[in-house]
Amino acid sequence: MKNRIEEIRSARGIRQEELARQMGVSRQTISSLENGRYNPSILLAWKIAKFFGMTIEDVFIFEEE
Amino acid sequence: MYDNKRLFLSVFWVVLGAALLILSVTGKLDSTRYAGMGGGLIAVGLLQIARNLRYRRDPAYREKIDTEVSDERNRFLRMKSWSWAGYITVIAEGIAAIVAAVKGQETVQLVLSYSVCLLLAAYYISYLVLSRKY
Repeated sequence: MKNRIEEIRSARGIRQEELARQMGVSRQTISSLENGRYNPSILLAWKIAKFFGMTIEDVFIFEEE
Repeated sequence: MYDNKRLFLSVFWVVLGAALLILSVTGKLDSTRYAGMGGGLIAVGLLQIARNLRYRRDPAYREKIDTEVSDERNRFLRMKSWSWAGYITVIAEGIAAIVAAVKGQETVQLVLSYSVCLLLAAYYISYLVLSRKY
């Protein structure tokens, strides 16, 4: 699953550490999410989308394999 | 994370380690193995106590530990690591059991085979229990 976390975060000038702290996860988790190495739980996806003031569909791009 | 229960457990390891060490040094236990075990327990206990105290006194460290423990990717990695460890153990023990059988080491082969069976039984029981829960 692709996502626009890095794009949205950078556009808003938010550092990975800050996003991680707000989400209650480690900076490595944010980095792995941005690189597409790790897919978040629905709860974390919802928290990230809510933090950006967007819907999950706006942040995460579901692609059927 | 580092609650009083863990602190008491750490103190218990130190006391147990000290007891083993003293009994070994005074000759009450006739093996250097117990002295080594005692030293190891003291070291582990002291390290845990130091971490526990730092966790209580340092808010930044507390936040870091709490995040590491609750972080969903870390939890995923811990579960995945256990899963890999299980696979590796079953495969390694299976291979070792075959090698032992070829070399005619019946006792070793039996122990390893039973161990593989035990691990597989534990897997199936865990699966049954978890499938009822989730």
